[in-house]
Amino acid sequence: MIDSNLSATPSALPALAAALGNSVVWQAPADPLHAPIAAADNFVTIVLSCEPENLPLVVRTLTEDADFRFAAIIPCEEGSSFIVAYWFYRSAGHLRVKLRVRVDAAAPTVPSISAIAHAADWHERQAEDLFGLIFSSHPKLGDFVLHEQWREGVNPMRRQFDHAPLATDADPPMPWSPETILETPGAFVMPIGPVYSDYAESAQFFLETVGEDVVRMIPRFFYKYRAVEKLAEGQSIAQVLLKVERFSGTSAVAHAICFSQAVEQITAVDPPPRAQAIRLLLAELERIRHHLSVLSDVCHSTGMIVPSAQVDILEEQMLRLSCRIGGHRYLYGLVIPGGLRRNIEDDQLQLLADEVQRLRSQAAELFSQLQFTSSFLDRFEGVGITPLEKTKNLGLVGPVARASNLAGDLRIAMPYGYYHHIPAFPEALETEGDGYARIRVLFHEIDSSAEIIRATALSIPPGEHALTALTLAGGEALGAVEAPNGAAFHGVNLAPSGTVRRLALITPSFTNWHGFHLAAENFAFQDFPIMMATFGLSMAESDR
Amino acid sequence: MSVPEIFLLLGLAFSIGGAIVLPLLTETLVPRALAIFGSAAAACLLATSALLLLGHSSLTIHLVTLPLLGTLRLHIGGLSAFFSLTLGISFLPAYLFSDGYMRRYQGHFRTRNFASFFLLLLPTCFMVLAAGDVITFLLFWRIMSLLASLTIVLENTREPVGPAGYLFLSMNEAGIIVVTVALLIMAGFSGGHIGFAAIAASMHNVSAPWRWIFFLMLFFGFSTKAGLVPVSSWLPRAHPLAPANASAILSGALVNFGIYGIIRFVAILLPSTGPLPGLIVLIVGALSALIGILFATIESDIKKMLAHSTIENMGIIAVNIGMALVFTAEHLPVLASIAYIVALYHMLNHSAYKTLLFLGAGSIDQHVGTRNMNRLGGLLKRMPVIGATFLIGALAIAAMPPLNGFVTEWLTLQNILRSEEIPSALCRVIFALCGTGLALGAALAVTCFLKAFAMSFLGMPRSQNAADAREADFSAKAPMLALAALCLVLGVGATWIIPGISRAVPQLADHHATAALVPPFFAAHPPNPPFKPQFISGFKTIGAGVGAGVIPARGLVILHQGGKSNPVVYAMSTFYMAIILALIMAATWVMIRLVCRRSRAAIGAPWAGGMRDLAPEMTYSATGFSNPVRVIFQTFFSAGQREDSKVAVESHFRTAIRREQSDVYLFDRIFLAPIAICAVAISRLLARIHRPSVVNAYAAWVFVILLVALVVNRLL
Amino acid sequence: MANWFFSGLFSRVVTTRYPASPEIAPGTTPGRPVGQQANSELAASAAAAMCPVGAIGAHGRDTTVTLSQCVHCQACRQQPGIAWQNDYQWAAAIPPSDSHRSQPVPRAFKKSLHIRIVDGGSCDSVLNEIKQLGKPFYNMHKLGFFITPSPRHADVLMLTGPVTRHMEAALKATYDAMPHPKWVIAVGSCAISGCVFGSDLMTALHSPPIVPIDVVVPGCPPPPLAILHGLMILAGREGELPPEPAIPVVPADPELRKVTSPEMSP
Ligand code: SF4
Repeated sequence: MIDSNLSATPSALPALAAALGNSVVWQAPADPLHAPIAAADNFVTIVLSCEPENLPLVVRTLTEDADFRFAAIIPCEEGSSFIVAYWFYRSAGHLRVKLRVRVDAAAPTVPSISAIAHAADWHERQAEDLFGLIFSSHPKLGDFVLHEQWREGVNPMRRQFDHAPLATDADPPMPWSPETILETPGAFVMPIGPVYSDYAESAQFFLETVGEDVVRMIPRFFYKYRAVEKLAEGQSIAQVLLKVERFSGTSAVAHAICFSQAVEQITAVDPPPRAQAIRLLLAELERIRHHLSVLSDVCHSTGMIVPSAQVDILEEQMLRLSCRIGGHRYLYGLVIPGGLRRNIEDDQLQLLADEVQRLRSQAAELFSQLQFTSSFLDRFEGVGITPLEKTKNLGLVGPVARASNLAGDLRIAMPYGYYHHIPAFPEALETEGDGYARIRVLFHEIDSSAEIIRATALSIPPGEHALTALTLAGGEALGAVEAPNGAAFHGVNLAPSGTVRRLALITPSFTNWHGFHLAAENFAFQDFPIMMATFGLSMAESDR
Repeated sequence: MSVPEIFLLLGLAFSIGGAIVLPLLTETLVPRALAIFGSAAAACLLATSALLLLGHSSLTIHLVTLPLLGTLRLHIGGLSAFFSLTLGISFLPAYLFSDGYMRRYQGHFRTRNFASFFLLLLPTCFMVLAAGDVITFLLFWRIMSLLASLTIVLENTREPVGPAGYLFLSMNEAGIIVVTVALLIMAGFSGGHIGFAAIAASMHNVSAPWRWIFFLMLFFGFSTKAGLVPVSSWLPRAHPLAPANASAILSGALVNFGIYGIIRFVAILLPSTGPLPGLIVLIVGALSALIGILFATIESDIKKMLAHSTIENMGIIAVNIGMALVFTAEHLPVLASIAYIVALYHMLNHSAYKTLLFLGAGSIDQHVGTRNMNRLGGLLKRMPVIGATFLIGALAIAAMPPLNGFVTEWLTLQNILRSEEIPSALCRVIFALCGTGLALGAALAVTCFLKAFAMSFLGMPRSQNAADAREADFSAKAPMLALAALCLVLGVGATWIIPGISRAVPQLADHHATAALVPPFFAAHPPNPPFKPQFISGFKTIGAGVGAGVIPARGLVILHQGGKSNPVVYAMSTFYMAIILALIMAATWVMIRLVCRRSRAAIGAPWAGGMRDLAPEMTYSATGFSNPVRVIFQTFFSAGQREDSKVAVESHFRTAIRREQSDVYLFDRIFLAPIAICAVAISRLLARIHRPSVVNAYAAWVFVILLVALVVNRLL
Repeated sequence: MANWFFSGLFSRVVTTRYPASPEIAPGTTPGRPVGQQANSELAASAAAAMCPVGAIGAHGRDTTVTLSQCVHCQACRQQPGIAWQNDYQWAAAIPPSDSHRSQPVPRAFKKSLHIRIVDGGSCDSVLNEIKQLGKPFYNMHKLGFFITPSPRHADVLMLTGPVTRHMEAALKATYDAMPHPKWVIAVGSCAISGCVFGSDLMTALHSPPIVPIDVVVPGCPPPPLAILHGLMILAGREGELPPEPAIPVVPADPELRKVTSPEMSP
């Protein structure tokens, strides 16, 4: 139920204030009734704080009445207490809410909000593993990020956690078995991974089954957990940027932009327009390349040699194009806080525009051929359906959500950077929520990205490609970018000296893997790789 | 007194004496005593029947002459001798097995009573086979049913066991009541003579409708005992609940009595009324085979699975009997005789491997404590002898050459193909359809027993008990080894066995099929009188003569010598197969030794995708293994066969998905359920009539019935 | 289906001719920094100081680049004292040591090597580059390299990523499951040196390494041709490679383009 008052921009804040009542304390804007409403093309961050016991009520009001979407839970240790920040956002009014809950580090218990906002489930489990926060009434805590090598009660993200003695020397490892819920005689789990398939990333899946058809899938992730967020603490921005780009190389540009965006917010600077425009081009180029890579996997998963080879050719062409204009096949090292490391000249942008147009027609041709290949459609139609209601509930993002008709493309919902200045483009929505819908979304997005590049590449504003200097400042901000897989949020907390105090990476793969079980339910064994391929998610991005 | 008679009396003495002595012993002595008395008795009776069969002789003993009914006599001819042979093959190992097995019941159940009943079962069964007249037959049949149901209920404190005993008894009673009525009417037609021979003689004068009535009553009456459809569901409910040694008897020997009844009364006593009765038997047999193996395949209780598979095997035997009846009606005595031989041969095989498998299942049950294959696994390492012999039994029942199951399955299918010699198109179509069903059943049998062996003996133990299991003792190993050897001998020695069995057949088909089935190609002197020289030389060019000088018997099993254009239809030799198989294995072994002479074999853990340790619950379960079959035949099982109920606790945080599954047997639903409903309705009606308050109505009913009886009497 | 048949049939052959002849198509490689003689000692130490991962060293006026630490951040692309070389044949065999001396690849294996990839926590891009090897442009199958899903069939373990603690056991298990003789090729800088993810928290800088490494392919990520080069070296087929350098060294031009460092000024 959306209160019309709450969603209409001009009166949004007063209405929200009225709805929340005195269960929260307004911190920014301090006086919501008379707060100035920012320009429509920029977002407003509302900072609230509340007592732990009021949390469920506030979250319910925000998500159910005021139509906010859950973004992240970012705990941060400050002195002897935890500040647990709950982030929400919504496109109407371009509002973001940061809800701060302070709990004592000695007895860190917060009520769980997963039953209200299911999207928070994994965030809570992750915070429990890494910080030792306890989310009361959450039914499934424990064994998530940290595997059986870790002793109980070791929380590596705590400040007092000491790197030096290895935390993983629990000897022997704790016995571990998947938590099965299928109760029927003869039920068993079929383990897949962590080393499986040809090129698959490390992750483990347990298919719960009584033979023939799979009832449910239990994932086990974080085999690739490199503790990027922990490593970032105390490092310089340049160092952290390297990690942010590299933890998920296929979405490097998006994450670099997201991180830079957060740093720029804290230091209150705007990169020059040319830098912003080129960032947009790079991000769209990356999106095209990423989607082609997913489509290649999709075609491979059905064993269709010719279409996959055709997509592969396009993908490698995009990789080469990236290298020619950006010097690196995955466009590493170009985006830096304050702009770009290097200018990209107009002749190279011309090359980009031409090549992308060529690709666009080839991709369209491929798509139309695929649409009339029944053996291809048979494998995807009705496979791995994510119904809209549940998609919403689990807060899915990106092409997966759009295939279920859930809008929320941050480029449109919360335009950032140069997206304010490009012609409006439609969000690629489909209704079925099955594998085929996801494939159509990918093709449509390739097309719309190509269109964005065409419309933008040749009218890039001249000027500097970067700010010459950034002013150091401490503070906290949330970067929000539509990565190829969906909405990515980077919570960055800088010390006044310019080092990173806390980095939180909320990635679309993390969000969407949580929803993958929706699709992976009551399916046939042979559909599993197909569903994985159409989701197109990355373990590296999810595991961090 | 002849030698067989002496053995017979000895056997009877051992078992009856044992039954008297056993209740006097202490509990600890019971198993050993049961094994000694029982095996002695079984060995004696085995000797009796073997001697009779080999000596081409029969035994007739007059018991008493009753004033009204006439003479009660025992007559053991070829057929009875053969059946009592199968009896011995099943009983002897089962008695031996009891020695170690019965100890698990000591102190928990009344093993003394059980042992007496179990001992008495053998002579009773023998008497049923030996009966030469209707009264003796029915009398001992009844005793047999009673004793059998008493052996089922040993573990009477366990929940479903008591009802299972009643189920067994009532189903047997239902069948035998129908049979009794039919036999008494038949005896009436023969002028009150109760001897089988007299009845058989009188049946030629009986009109066709009466023959039909007799056929239907006798066939369906006895098929209940054999566990053929539509009344088959009691068998997997009752047999598995008995102790394993009794289960082995029930499935290995007692179901044979249904077959005996069908052969003795339907095939011998009743003259043919055309091919239709045969077709009915054929269809019932094929359906039983298919349904039996389907349910066996999806079953995960190892004993229930074996019981379902009994239905399948009885079906295969019935198919052969049906074929024989059709061939007889169509005046194809050679084919009919072959079909009878195959029926009896298959029964012999079934007794051997089913007893073996049930004993194996009993050993597993005893040493692991569960019969659920989902909780077994990895037993081959822990029970190597039981595992190896169980494997031989499983291969035999799955009709893998050169074991005995293969011989009869092959002959059955080949015989079905011979239906092209029947003029009627309808018959041929039905034969073809039944053949298809049997072929499918044969394929499923492989799945089923592959699963049974793999899920019990291979892989990881799926429960702590399975991990802690240890090898059974000698009293279990010895009979199982003997039975496994028997399975091999019955398979490899087909050309020796078939002439033996054909001695039991002539009274069925008036024809010796030995020459057609196993022609004396190379063994006879002078060789091969019935065959033309060019025919034999043609055969030799395809290699049939290989080893002729070495093999001391008829080399090939040949189905039928056929017409002029097609002298030999199909030929097969398990003997050669066994030799070739042994050669291949030896060659493989030698090759491996040669290739790997210089390299070292590395033994590592199974590759589990890089997992730290593979848990047992991550390996295929028995239910999972056979689930594809369940899914494929879902429409066949049709709705109601399983029920799924899904419990989702909170939409997001589901804590359980529960699936319940209840088996409703196909024919219970479409056949027995309506009968049960009718029966309940009728008894309600009768109860209303019997209500004492309406005495007038009651009197009126008595009057009406009297009237009807008078009218009927007048009309007849 | 027919249209797929024809569209496949009439597609141009795009497969590289490498190693028969050098691949010169633009964009196949990001190139790599190489040490040079700088104008002054100051310039050399400035170059060393600007590398965020310390891959550049300065010895007097000479600079050196430790490629196995370089993360291809492009910061030194126009740095005086550093040359950027647009080649890709930079894989190297690890010299045998006392602890590990692997046998040379026997003749029978040279043109049929089966590879099992183990992802020890890499980013997707290096896996994606390996994937390209099986795709039309690089098609390593024609050179006799195959990816196999089972370590039982594998001769070569291809390791990517810094090997997280959670993957340690799986990596070991995979290596142990491979039959002898077996070789290991480490692909990507992080598989060699841990790189930006190397820490003792989640990704130990294993010493001695969990699996003995025979050939390394530095780069972040190494382009497909570099990986192919590594495989050729592993297979002992250096003789088939084109002469080096495939593409001439591009000298640094300080005036070419302005480069901004991400360091903040106070
Ligand atoms: S590219 Fe970056 S990491 Fe590599 S040497 Fe240059 S500055 Fe160092």
